[in-house]
Amino acid sequence: MTDQLIAMLPYLAHQAVFGAIAAAGFGVLFNFGWRSLAWCAVAGALALGIRTFSQKHGASLEAATFLAAIGTSCIAILGRRWLGVACHAIALAGCIPMVPGAFFGQALLGYMAVAADTSGQSVAQLVASAQAFIRVVSIVGAIGAGLAIPAYLLRSRQF
Amino acid sequence: MNTQSDTAEGDPLHHHALDRIAHVTLRAGAILAQSGASVRVVHEGARMIAGGLGVEVMGMRSGYASFEITLERGRHTITRMMQIGPHGVNHRLDFAVRDLVLRASQGGMAPEQIERELDRLQRDTPRHPPWLVAIATGAACAAFGRLLGADWASFVPMLAAAGIGQRIRHWLLGHHVNVFVVAAIIGCVAATLGGLGARLAGSATVELAMMASILLLVPGVPSTNAQTDVLDGYPTMGSARAVWVIMIMVFAVTGLWLAEFVLRIHV
Repeated sequence: MTDQLIAMLPYLAHQAVFGAIAAAGFGVLFNFGWRSLAWCAVAGALALGIRTFSQKHGASLEAATFLAAIGTSCIAILGRRWLGVACHAIALAGCIPMVPGAFFGQALLGYMAVAADTSGQSVAQLVASAQAFIRVVSIVGAIGAGLAIPAYLLRSRQF
Repeated sequence: MNTQSDTAEGDPLHHHALDRIAHVTLRAGAILAQSGASVRVVHEGARMIAGGLGVEVMGMRSGYASFEITLERGRHTITRMMQIGPHGVNHRLDFAVRDLVLRASQGGMAPEQIERELDRLQRDTPRHPPWLVAIATGAACAAFGRLLGADWASFVPMLAAAGIGQRIRHWLLGHHVNVFVVAAIIGCVAATLGGLGARLAGSATVELAMMASILLLVPGVPSTNAQTDVLDGYPTMGSARAVWVIMIMVFAVTGLWLAEFVLRIHV
């Protein structure tokens, strides 16, 4: 178990680091203040860390994303003392690197290819596109539900 | 909600006061919505301001492009509507307005004073310089690329392409070009630059680099806000946001498709 964990560490660190960069980068675009940006990076690293760890232990991408979102949201709300009322926004920024934009792109490009196909041989392409689209819906749903459930259960205020 | 009609002729002074309250309440709500707050936050904020200004009953309806409010104080009621500008995300402005709402809810502030504070916040709330936003967005997209499995050779091209894309997007939106058209243009430009750069750098993941270069266009906050709004009991706004997200993605991917055509990449 320990050996497995050690072997996984470089990949886990890679995902966490790039999750942090993506979250902080989008944090700048969303005009977070400097102090909040640091927390966005922490939230991004945490989210990607939980997701990667869960996937390595057999969870599907959708389930791992849900666990990551719920974990990040819980920790952000519990850290409200330091994060202030912005804890929800910071948890959301941390989950932005998990938004499946690339799957959405693949799905739409696939549908375009199916529409342009005249050979009638596009069943596989259609299935792949539909699958990508279903994954988009389930992953976005997993992020939304994962962020919202702790906020409702812990009755976290927004003001 | 009391269905009494507007009461301008009964007591013009009182009517004018309610009019000012309705206006400042709607304005605060509009700024919150345009800064990326969910509808629940907008309604709560409006209720807090109105309560702090002595309003007894408040009803609010929120659409994607406009808000309507009805206020009641004593025997007087008023209904007003306000157009909402483009929805975006501005965390610092959002939370500065929430602070102001909290102060206003405790009473002791006049509508004109709140209005002046809103003007000041809109004018003075700091923003990161555009060059920094471009670099940060480029870094975020390049990091996305790494998370998706793009190789190291494509890292700098992705960063540069998305950064240039963000800079052009900023310029186009500043010139009031339609947001969907901007998505298509940036999708095409960023994907072409990212793909070309990755190819020149000897990357084996050119298609991934192209995809990652346009991820700055993915509306992550609106897509989660859409769900939050539905969960909070505002399905109209939630659905409108979801349709907006899908439309942006369709236009962005059309741009990507054009870039693949330009670079002769077979889909």
